[in-house]
Amino acid sequence: MSASTVPDIPGDSELVATYLGGDEGSAAELVRRHSAAMGRFLYSAGAAPDDVDDLVQESLFRAFRALGGWRRTASFRSWLFSIAGNLLRDEYRRRKGRQIIALEDRDIPDRADPHGELVAVEMEERVRVGVARLPRLQREVFLLRAHEGVGYDDIAAALGTTPGAARVHYHHAVKRLKELVR
Amino acid sequence: MTVCERLSDRMPDVLRGHARWTADEATHLAGCADCRAEQDLIAAVHRIAARAPAPRDPSALAETVLRRVANQPRSRVRSLRSWAVGIAATAGIALAVWTGSHGKSAAPDSVAVAAGADIALPELEPMETAELDSLLETMETTPTPAPAAWSALGEPTLGDLDADELEQVLGTWEG
Repeated sequence: MSASTVPDIPGDSELVATYLGGDEGSAAELVRRHSAAMGRFLYSAGAAPDDVDDLVQESLFRAFRALGGWRRTASFRSWLFSIAGNLLRDEYRRRKGRQIIALEDRDIPDRADPHGELVAVEMEERVRVGVARLPRLQREVFLLRAHEGVGYDDIAAALGTTPGAARVHYHHAVKRLKELVR
Repeated sequence: MTVCERLSDRMPDVLRGHARWTADEATHLAGCADCRAEQDLIAAVHRIAARAPAPRDPSALAETVLRRVANQPRSRVRSLRSWAVGIAATAGIALAVWTGSHGKSAAPDSVAVAAGADIALPELEPMETAELDSLLETMETTPTPAPAAWSALGEPTLGDLDADELEQVLGTWEG
C-alpha cells in the first residue's frame, strides 16, 4: 500500500512570503485564487460590469504594492476585499458622486414562468442598487458575511472595526435591504 | 439570542451549502415571514454575484499586475506622504509658536495635539492610501471636537487626496 502523495497546498500566508522572497509564481497563484471572488465582490457592491476587470486589476496592484503592510490579523482575501472596497469608494468620489452602478438590461430567459423570472430579476436589481447605496462599512460587512461567509472576527480585522460593531453593521444592512425583497 | 437572530447568523453558511438547517430551524423558517425575507435577500445576493462578469485569465492578470508593481517606484507615494507629514508638522509648530507669541490661553491640549503631530504621523508612514482611508473612516465614527485654533487654519486637505490626486499635486509643485 503506497503512501498518499497529495501535495501540501500552500496557504495564502505562505504564498505571500514566497512572493516577497522573489517567487512570482506565488503571486500568480494568489491572483488565481482570489481574482474571481474580487470581481464578484465588486460587482455585487455596485461596480458596472465593464469596470469590474479594471477595478480587480487596480485592487490587486494596490495590494501587491502594499503586501508588506498585510498584518495577517485578517485573512488575505478579506484584506484584498477591503482594498477593493476602498478603491470603489475612491472611484465613486472621483466621479463626483455619480452612482457607479448601472442597471442591467438583461434578456429574460424563456422559462415556464417568465413573469416569475422577471420579478426575480427586478428584485435582484433592487438589491444590487440597495447594496451600492449602503454606507461603506455596512456594505462591505454585509457582502463579506452574506456572500463570502466571512466570520465577524475576520471582517473586523480587515475593516478596522470590532466584531461587535461588524455584527451591528451587518444587521443594519440586512434590515434596510430586507425591505427591498418583501 | 432569539431564534430569528440564530437563523440570521447561520443563514450565510446555510445558503453557501456549508451548513444545514435543523428540523426546528426549518419549522421556524417556514412560519416566519421576516426570516424568509432575509433568506430571499441572501439568496438574491448569491444570484447577483453569480452574474458578475467572467474574470480575466488569472495568469495574464498576474503578469499585468506584477509588471505594474515593478514599474511603480514605491518611493514616490511615500515621498508624497513625507511631504504631507512635513507640512502638517510645520503647521503644528507654527501654530504652537503663534499661540505662544500671542499669549493666548488657546487650549493647551489643542497645542499639544498639533505639536504632537510629528510624533503620531510617522506611525502612519508604512500605511498605504487604502489603509489610511480606512483608518480615517473609523476615526470619523468617533468624532472629537476639533481644537478651536484649527478653524483659523482651515481644514487639512492633503489627507483627503488619494494617490493619483497626490501625484497631480506633486506634478504642479515640480512644474
